[in-house]
Amino acid sequence: MPYPSLVGVIEVRELTKRYGGTTAVDGLSFRVRPGLVTGFLGPNGAGKSTTMRLILGLAAPTSGEALVNGVRYASLRRPLHEVGALLDATAVHGGRSAHDHLLALAASNGIGAARVAEVLARVGLSGVARKRIGGFSLGMKQRLGIAAALLGDPGVLLFDEPVNGLDPDGVRWIRELLRGLAAEGRTVLLSSHLMSEMALTADHLIVIGRGRLLADTSMADLVGGHASLEDAYLSLTASSVEYR
Amino acid sequence: MRNVLTSEWIKLRSVSSTRSTLAVAASMIVLGAAWTWYVRGLAEERGSVQAAAPEEGFLPLLQICLGVLGVLAVTAERETGFLAVPRRRVLLLAKAAVVAGMAFAAAAGILVATHALSRLIAGDRSLGFEDAPLSALPAAALSATVVALAGLGLGAVTRSTAGGIASVVGVLFVLPGVVAYLPSPWNTRVGSLLLPNLAPQIAGERISRRLGDGLLPPAVAVAVLLGYGVLAVGAALVSITRRDV
Repeated sequence: MPYPSLVGVIEVRELTKRYGGTTAVDGLSFRVRPGLVTGFLGPNGAGKSTTMRLILGLAAPTSGEALVNGVRYASLRRPLHEVGALLDATAVHGGRSAHDHLLALAASNGIGAARVAEVLARVGLSGVARKRIGGFSLGMKQRLGIAAALLGDPGVLLFDEPVNGLDPDGVRWIRELLRGLAAEGRTVLLSSHLMSEMALTADHLIVIGRGRLLADTSMADLVGGHASLEDAYLSLTASSVEYR
Repeated sequence: MRNVLTSEWIKLRSVSSTRSTLAVAASMIVLGAAWTWYVRGLAEERGSVQAAAPEEGFLPLLQICLGVLGVLAVTAERETGFLAVPRRRVLLLAKAAVVAGMAFAAAAGILVATHALSRLIAGDRSLGFEDAPLSALPAAALSATVVALAGLGLGAVTRSTAGGIASVVGVLFVLPGVVAYLPSPWNTRVGSLLLPNLAPQIAGERISRRLGDGLLPPAVAVAVLLGYGVLAVGAALVSITRRDV
């Protein structure tokens, strides 16, 4: 890690991603800081997931760069120790058990089987650890994805719609988990379309529309004179909604 | 690299598709025994027969199973795998090493078992394959291993299980069938270079009744076979590093 001041920081600079003639992310710049839950908001197709995939090296930017702890994700040798991510919880091999899935990920980063058992217990899946993932509900897959993100005890965490499919008990559990992780000084970037849930979880908000930055501000400042986060969000993104 | 190899080994051994493909591949032993039993019966009626050796006749079954294993090893990869190992070359090379290792071990075991069991059943009867060269066994094991790597390469390039398996079937069964009907001598010239026709040439045997003896000396056939393996892994490397996940 080159600069201590960049530890636990996600930095996106002039990031652009085009697919053919479509611009998914358009000159986006922002910084995500440690110790807070940063909400990542925007209408469908705004580029939230693409931005996360660019940060995580799953897609290559057309121009600009995305850095984690001051370096590109792809240059990390044992990334799970620095960054944990849950993108698409259903993108896991259904023919493998939860334990084996996590064990394979852990082994690639030099993490032992004891830690696998630990994260499985933390997300409440110990009882089904030896069952095939193919039989899991969406909520169970979300928990498994969160377990994978926590494997290396990373300082930076990204979650794309982690609340989908969770029952009310699970929704509260993940809210407290995310707030707890931020309170420990970690950097947490969370995308969600559930405004009421976001209002309860996030401290800071980054709002994008059509791949561009609309707001990068604290929760209190964004809500400001509006009745709720939902009202504030809808008025901010009114001109950026693509699919209606 | 060592961590990634361990991880790939866990991935390969922990999916049920690996067990299924290896089980089907191992059915070669049973089929070989049944075949030998059948021709033994014929030989007892007629005195002698000219039958194909089971470890050569059923080799395509072993090859297609290991080819499918190779396809599945790469198309089963999900984004979590790329998050854990963002160095995609390392990820793919580890995968190729584990697939090649498992394919060679499985092929060698199955081929030796098929050979041994069939010779046990044949006894000292003249079934036509008692003089088959022993070098056919390592040649067949090597070719099945390269087919597994070809599956890995085709799975990576097509990025689809169905597309990868269809391509392996094309390379193993469709292409040789088409080439056999090219005008002579081009059928033998082109046919000698095809992946499934290399194992007999390494063992110094004829490719088929139609194509006759291949044109490649054993050492050259080995080199061409290894070339297929390098080509497959190279294509997979290019495909996996150039594209978004």
